Amino acid sequence: MTKTTGAPARQEVAVAFDRVSKTYGNVHAVDRLSLTLHPGETVALLGPNGAGKSTTLDLLLGLRQPDSGTVQVFGTGPREAIVAGRVGAMLQSGGLMDEVTVAELVTLACALHPRPHPVSDVLARAGVTPIADRKVNKLSGGQEQRVRFALATAGDSDLIVLDEPTTGMDVTARQAFWATMRDQADQGRTVLFATHYLEEADAIADRVLVLHRGRLLADGTAAEIKAKAGARRVSFDLEGAIDEPALRALPFLTALTVSGQTVRMQSTDADATVHALYGLGLYPRNLEVAGLGLEQAFVALTAAEEAKQS
Amino acid sequence: MNSLIRLELVRALRNRKFLFFSVIYPSVLFLLIAGSADDTTKVDGTGLTLPTYMMVSMASFGALTAVLMGNSERIAKERENGWVRQLRLTTLPGRGYVLAKTAGAAVVSLPSIVVVFAVAATVKNVRLDAWQWLALTGAIWVGSLVFAALGVALGYLASGDAVRPITMIVYFGLSILGGLWMPTTTFPQWLQDMAKWVPTHAYAALGQSIEQSQAPHARDIVVLAVFFALFTGGAAWLYRKDTLKA
Ligand SMILES: Nc1ncnc2c1ncn2[C@@H]1O[C@H](COP(=O)(O)OP(=O)(O)O)[C@@H](O)[C@H]1O
Ligand SMILES: [Mg+2]
Repeated sequence: MTKTTGAPARQEVAVAFDRVSKTYGNVHAVDRLSLTLHPGETVALLGPNGAGKSTTLDLLLGLRQPDSGTVQVFGTGPREAIVAGRVGAMLQSGGLMDEVTVAELVTLACALHPRPHPVSDVLARAGVTPIADRKVNKLSGGQEQRVRFALATAGDSDLIVLDEPTTGMDVTARQAFWATMRDQADQGRTVLFATHYLEEADAIADRVLVLHRGRLLADGTAAEIKAKAGARRVSFDLEGAIDEPALRALPFLTALTVSGQTVRMQSTDADATVHALYGLGLYPRNLEVAGLGLEQAFVALTAAEEAKQS
Repeated sequence: MNSLIRLELVRALRNRKFLFFSVIYPSVLFLLIAGSADDTTKVDGTGLTLPTYMMVSMASFGALTAVLMGNSERIAKERENGWVRQLRLTTLPGRGYVLAKTAGAAVVSLPSIVVVFAVAATVKNVRLDAWQWLALTGAIWVGSLVFAALGVALGYLASGDAVRPITMIVYFGLSILGGLWMPTTTFPQWLQDMAKWVPTHAYAALGQSIEQSQAPHARDIVVLAVFFALFTGGAAWLYRKDTLKA
């Protein structure tokens, strides 16, 4: 299999959102979102339920129109990009035509693509060759996801968009599916997928966009996201009056709460922070330094944002 | 687009229940209604024997079943389960889906018309000129597009549990009021006056005028044209509304 596009694709921008907003009634599903994706990137759109991931992808695919702002895909509108066969997508709520077989449906998807792959290749890559003759309405949740993945990858598209692709899969199926996704990225395609599993973002993406209430909270590698959220938790007790502004000025600090005599903070470099703490002439008791899992890092990020807003 | 049409056809032909209802059922109903009638009873004011008259009614009914019943429910379901959205992520033009559905229905409606004719000709000795058979088939087949448009409109209008009862009411209403099950001449006068404006009545009247070797009534043509415009306009409007809300 050859690489998708030649050198020119390198220079152009795959996806550009410019201050895009979308509201449903009084819910700001997407709120002045700006982002740029470059060809070849594998990007996770990470956020809890209701963060606006699906709405963002719907806007990207032209299934919904933004209230304000502009969405460009390979320098054109979403619909033009789709008609040009540059985008393949798998929706969170993408149903299938029933009473037809998996092979028939994939054949249709290939026929509708301007640069289709051979049907047998598409089936094989999506891992649905063994169920090619089954009716699509007789599949398990995970098998159905794979069929939808096959539809998204029926042709030589430059951008693959997947909305929570591993929903309904158990752990082994999920890990097998990650390999399928990586395979697409390895062919030089831009892959954008929404997920609320941090380990999924960590396992596949080389860039993670954290979305919360329609706004971009963080943008970086999974490691950077963890760092930004405060990778370590530091807690200790202090005696006497606590000088909060002084504590807040400590290096590498990302979060601070004081309750009574107990101080809890998060730091991207706990060693340096604790060192500076002693430097203030303070004598912390019951000092504890603990690692922050990715899950906790994510909770910390979103909590910090909530605190900022209220 | 051809690939989607092809797949819709394969699926329509695979659905035994649907095939039975639209292809076999009208012929069975024809035999039930016209079976005991002798070949000489005339339907009031038409000069046609009951079997001849009912043959057109049942062929029209079969075509109506094929284009109305299959599509409205399918479209509503596929709108809800997201298949329509998935198709919007392909190069298929917006109207392609509706055209494929209509084509799928048209392919089922043709055999349902032909089977009624065959049964009427062999079992009830209905005899017409060759041009009449051809004209009848063409008129009933093309006329069914009016109701195909209605089926599409209903599919975009109603959703979930509502679509089946609504389609049923429309289907039975059109069949009975249009005189597809029994000649409208058996209706009380006030109902006959009303039935003249029902599109299915105009639809069957078209076929009956061919059997009488007469030019079709201008009123029937106008009624069908107006309803066709109304149904396609409604379907297009509902389709756009649905697309905006995604
Ligand atoms: N069609 C809709 N009508 C009204 N509110 C909606 C609609 N779709 C999504 N929302 C709301 O917009 C917000 C973002 O939803 P969504 O984009 O589906 O988030 P996610 O995919 O991250 O779970 C949520 O608060 C959700 O309830
Ligand atoms: Mg979602």
